[in-house]
Amino acid sequence: MFLCVLLLIGCADPKILERVSLAVLIGYDVKDGKITTNVALRTVNQELQSVVSIASETEETSKGTRIKASLDSSKKIVAGQLRVVLLGDKLAENGVNQALHTLMMNSEISSSVYVAITEGSTKGIVDADYEQITDIGQHIYYLLDHNVQEQYTISSTLHETIRDNYSSFSDMSLPMLVKDEDDVHISGVALFNDDKMVGKIADKDVFYVVLIRDKYKAGATQITLSSEPFKTSKTKLPDEPPMAIDSIRSLSKIRLVDEKTPEFDLNIKFEARLLEIHSDIDTEDDSVMTKLEQEMTKVFKKDIERIIKQTQEVNSDIFGFGETYRATLGTTKVNEKVWKELYPKMKVNINIEFELLRNGVFE
Amino acid sequence: MNKELQVKPYEMINAFLLFFVVVGSQIGVGIHGFQRIIYSEAKQDAWISVILSLLLCQLVVFIMVRTLKKFGNLDIYGIHKEIFGKFIGNFLNLIYVSYCSFGFFVIIKNYIEVVNTWVFSYVSANILIASLLLIVIYAFSGGFRVMIGICFIGFFFLLWIPPMLIYPMYYSEVRHLLPVMEDLKGILKGAYSMSFTVVGFEILNVLYPYIKEEDRKSVNKYAQLGLLFTFFMYLFIMLVTLTFFSGQQLEKTIWATLTLFGIIRLPFVERVEIITICLWMVIILPNLCLFSWSAFRGTQHLIKIKPKTFVWIFSLLIFILNFFVKTRTEINSMNNIFGHIAFVVVFIYPFLLFLFGSIKKKMKRKKVTGDTS
Repeated sequence: MFLCVLLLIGCADPKILERVSLAVLIGYDVKDGKITTNVALRTVNQELQSVVSIASETEETSKGTRIKASLDSSKKIVAGQLRVVLLGDKLAENGVNQALHTLMMNSEISSSVYVAITEGSTKGIVDADYEQITDIGQHIYYLLDHNVQEQYTISSTLHETIRDNYSSFSDMSLPMLVKDEDDVHISGVALFNDDKMVGKIADKDVFYVVLIRDKYKAGATQITLSSEPFKTSKTKLPDEPPMAIDSIRSLSKIRLVDEKTPEFDLNIKFEARLLEIHSDIDTEDDSVMTKLEQEMTKVFKKDIERIIKQTQEVNSDIFGFGETYRATLGTTKVNEKVWKELYPKMKVNINIEFELLRNGVFE
Repeated sequence: MNKELQVKPYEMINAFLLFFVVVGSQIGVGIHGFQRIIYSEAKQDAWISVILSLLLCQLVVFIMVRTLKKFGNLDIYGIHKEIFGKFIGNFLNLIYVSYCSFGFFVIIKNYIEVVNTWVFSYVSANILIASLLLIVIYAFSGGFRVMIGICFIGFFFLLWIPPMLIYPMYYSEVRHLLPVMEDLKGILKGAYSMSFTVVGFEILNVLYPYIKEEDRKSVNKYAQLGLLFTFFMYLFIMLVTLTFFSGQQLEKTIWATLTLFGIIRLPFVERVEIITICLWMVIILPNLCLFSWSAFRGTQHLIKIKPKTFVWIFSLLIFILNFFVKTRTEINSMNNIFGHIAFVVVFIYPFLLFLFGSIKKKMKRKKVTGDTS
């Protein structure tokens, strides 16, 4: 009987590495109402070299494009090794629900793949000749992965994307990729209202988005301060000396204070190490350090206010203020529609506790 | 009493094994996707429903053991005959046997559906069911003690689940749990929907005569411990799920536990859930064995039958039945029906039985005292 079972196990759908092509990256574009899918495929040939090829087809369903691509390919196409899903900006402006739903429905695709938006069509990024990049799928995966790990951009696994998309009280945001001459880089964060892309936050502001949404475990950023408070007779400071901080640890909390307006408290605790600063600022002095902290708090406040305003203008609650609103008032009193009307009117009081813990090894 | 029905001394087990039996019989296919069903009723308070259902289970087990204690060496089938007489008693036995067989069928069908959806989408469900049934037959013909052994081993295949859930906890959002205690009616409804997931411990009804006589006073203790273990498992999974998913997302996720595993990416295994599903066979095996065993014990009361003959006929029937339930919608509605039936059989019936049992005993005592006076 055991033998019987053993024999039966072997019958199940074998997938031999040499006979399949692995889809590493899928890009969706929209063209005349039809979805174009661009897939970066990796195949391993008998000499154990891996070859990367791009397949691109237009069809109404994703499986339809896969069948079409299959007709073109000498090998079976499997999606189990999928790492990145790209969505073209046209598609994103029309709504991404359908594409995401397709991805979630397929059990072959892991919910830990990264989702990102491209500026321009995905075909432009995927199907281009790069001198440096041999495998565009892997390249974009590593590009996103290490930046997410280091918290330079927001984490956008398929799961998190779906979670925010299906939550009535927060909107999703996805990293944006752009192609420049011979490379791909992350250019910022796309804002969504429901499932439609409505705006973009530039890459220098992404730091604040992560600051409010997540907690920093090891981030870094650079900021420019006004040099006014630090000016003494001896020093020659530029008007806006830049500085850099790293080893950031932060914690942000949102609290509802007034349900009518609505008004929120955004409390951020922030600890960091001072890494780069103009050599004329004396970091040994306690009062200078306090001043630095105060100045930075001011800059942070101004920037955060500006960014929240920007999201309010396009009505995209990517920070999840709505979640807090619902969590305090309960689902019976508020619904999605109410919140959509309230978000642009929302007021936020920002409180930042800023602490510079230490600086480098040289004062 | 019929000689065949009597438990042989070498088949007796220690009471502490009941812990493994209860855990093994409770945790099965329900755990894959119970979150969605509870959530649709109780929303963010689904975890409170889990707690309520534990309390109910504990009460039921307590009553069950009290009833069984009254009748000494009898299992539920014997008790039926004792209380209601041969004719009605056997009718009730038939119902109970059908319930157990239905339970068996539901478990096997759900598991195969998961395998078909996640792992082998091209393999026919019939082949998978046939191979699973062969394993059950193999275990069944090993006898009662082998099945208890499977429960014991199956328990250790559960232990890796909680540590695995630490990965999804990185994505958790505690705000999803608030506000607490919003809709009391929903919570109660959620607790009711839990019945599909928590049933299994009614196996005690059949197993009781197998416990060594000197050990029987601790039956309640070990059964309750088993319930507690399952409860903590469910509660933990529920809390992780509620914080991991957003509301509507969870309502659309059919097997939330498996999707939770989907986010884990280990250096040596990319898709943990695939391995999980395959390992799950060891976890549902105790379920299948125990349900088929209790069906067998009941059948023994009705007709004279040998274990081997029974298990082959039983498997054949299940296999034939399997042709009639094919699509997901059919399976879902079958689950719903089973949930309702299970609630009645497991959570309401023991109280009735206890009541009837007490009346019967009183009447008997009256008769005895009446005779002597």
